[in-house]
Amino acid sequence: MTRKKMKGAASSPAYMTVVELRLYIADSAPNSVRAIANLEAICKEYLQESFRLEIIDVLEYPQRALADGVLVTPSLNKISPSPVSMIVGNLSDTSSVLRALGITEHVK
Amino acid sequence: MKHDIALSSPPAGTNAERGIEKVILRLVRGGPERLAIESGQIDAVVDPAGGNVILLPQAQRSLVERKSRLRKLFALSCDWSWGQDDQYRFVSCEDAGVENSSYRIEDIIGHTLWDLSIDNLSETDWATHRQQLEWRVTFRDLEVRCVDSAGAVHYLSFSGEPIFDARDQFQGYRGIARDISERKQAEAFMQEPNRYVHSNFDVLTAHVGVLDSSGVVLLANQAWRAFADTHIGIGAGVCEGANYLESCDNAGGHERVDGIAIAAGIRQVIAGERESFRYEHACDSPAGWRWFMLNITGIAGDTAERAVVLREDITELKRGELLLGLEYKVARCLAEADNATGALQAVIRTICQSQGWDCGRYFRLDPAAGVLCFGEAWGVPVAAVEQFLERSRGLVFRPGAGLTGRVFQSGQPLWIPDGARDTGASPAALAPETGGEGVFVFPITAQNKTVGVLAFTSRTVREPDNRMLQAVQSIGGQLGQFLQRQQAADALRRSEARFRKLTELSVDWRWEMDSDFRFTQYIGSDVSGKGEVLGKTLWELPNIVLSDAEWITHKSQLSARWSFCDFEFAAVHPDGQTGYYSISGEPVYDEAGTFTGYCGTGMDITSRKAAEIALRESEARLRALPGPASV
Repeated sequence: MTRKKMKGAASSPAYMTVVELRLYIADSAPNSVRAIANLEAICKEYLQESFRLEIIDVLEYPQRALADGVLVTPSLNKISPSPVSMIVGNLSDTSSVLRALGITEHVK
Repeated sequence: MKHDIALSSPPAGTNAERGIEKVILRLVRGGPERLAIESGQIDAVVDPAGGNVILLPQAQRSLVERKSRLRKLFALSCDWSWGQDDQYRFVSCEDAGVENSSYRIEDIIGHTLWDLSIDNLSETDWATHRQQLEWRVTFRDLEVRCVDSAGAVHYLSFSGEPIFDARDQFQGYRGIARDISERKQAEAFMQEPNRYVHSNFDVLTAHVGVLDSSGVVLLANQAWRAFADTHIGIGAGVCEGANYLESCDNAGGHERVDGIAIAAGIRQVIAGERESFRYEHACDSPAGWRWFMLNITGIAGDTAERAVVLREDITELKRGELLLGLEYKVARCLAEADNATGALQAVIRTICQSQGWDCGRYFRLDPAAGVLCFGEAWGVPVAAVEQFLERSRGLVFRPGAGLTGRVFQSGQPLWIPDGARDTGASPAALAPETGGEGVFVFPITAQNKTVGVLAFTSRTVREPDNRMLQAVQSIGGQLGQFLQRQQAADALRRSEARFRKLTELSVDWRWEMDSDFRFTQYIGSDVSGKGEVLGKTLWELPNIVLSDAEWITHKSQLSARWSFCDFEFAAVHPDGQTGYYSISGEPVYDEAGTFTGYCGTGMDITSRKAAEIALRESEARLRALPGPASV
């Protein structure tokens, strides 16, 4: 399963950079489902529509995981803007996720 | 392709599970990953050596359970799933449901849907379906019907969606199929009452239509639809969805009044102002006049008032009534007629007016010549008809010649709807008889013999039905008997006239008396000499010279109602001359046997009496002469 989501970048404020994310999951395993839900909530709250998310099911595309150096799922890769970062787990620790994404809570 | 995660699921908390965790921890060296694994936030590990994905036990169990749940849900929603390649050929059929359908898996794999034995989709339907596939659209509930080898009918519903690879290349379709045979049977069962009602409705010969409150036909039976297709006028072309009231409102010509009346009646019924409405009306059609009886009844619908229009074709009944009426009118004409000419004209006119024919002609048999001669005629006052009748005068037909002669010879009616066409003769040859129109000819019979022929001409002559043939047979018989009676009466009258002439030659006067012996009729020379005979008895006449004894004798004869012959008397005329008369008479009785008087004849015997007197005087003179004692 690979899903791409790009929320209306054109309507975002000019000063906001579009964050490109890639989430690796294992089908609908519990942590994968939870990771998707947590990430959706974070993006909605902190990035509004200025993000682009690709969800990759490693059960379908294991080679892509290997190519991106992903060893465990769920894993979230921030592709851009630099610096790239990776966070593993079900993304239930919002603070850790925000730090990995380079988002400070006052952005909210 | 996803790995099959169900096969390697170890039981929770077992040694095998713990062994997997050790393997995973050996593969994952990074601190964050290991922490995540230990905190239970990881589902799978990717083996960097071979690229295999190893599901952690908890995730594996969860996915197996989920797949199981999905399978159950899938089983609830469909009978089997299928996949097609990019050529729409079935490449997979899963689940046991397929075996319960009319197909075996080997019958399906490698074939397209339209290769299967499906009998309810037309070429157009298949073309539409193929177009959907070409457009790569999702299709739902494509219902197909097929018959299995045992003859059982199955209905299947196919739904499918296109599938694409990672590069958006079309790979084929996948979808589900459901056996909807039970549902279809249930639907058929539910529709059965409606079909039953419809089929019963269609069996009715009467035209039945249900109108809504605005007059739109909601439901019509087969007879109604057939009428709408073939009829001209009110109701023509009015089937389901059309407005019958508008058809009535817009009726024209001779149907205008009927249309207004029918529309008003229907509106009253729909408005609840009356429970029902009956109306009889006639209309012209290519097959002739037709009569209908409309019976409109109100019914309460679910939301609005409705009316049931029941239209019965009463043409046969009506024609029967009219022909019965015609027979009655003809009988009345004959009863009122006092001669053959008047009777024939009245009968011909009655038939023409009843049947809408232009004219009729009677050809009578001339027994002496053995030919049919033009007799009487009647026609509508139209120049063409009058000219045609004028040309007919003097027409003579031999038996077997022309239509008239053929009918006379065969004794059977004959009709030609169109005078210009007849297989037996050219139109020119028929023109004197048809005038280019239709013609109906039938025999006039008396005592099983044809005594004449009636020929009617009109554009509206049609092939007669059995009832019409019965009517003309009856009319022909009535008219024939009348003519024969009239012929006999004429002969009797002529005979009486001849007898009277002869009587007048042999007697001097004829007389009649009433029951009191008073003269009521006196034709011939006047015995009284003053014309004062009527109203008096013979003995009241002052100039009669008769002895009392003779009067007594005569009166006793009369009182006894005896016939008397050569009763002689003398009468002194005003000029003083004496006349001698002889009368003979016989009593007259009416049908009841009551004496009504006398009738008789009288002769002037003065000359004979004078001769007798002279002879007697001569004899007396001779006796008085002197001479021998004996003479």
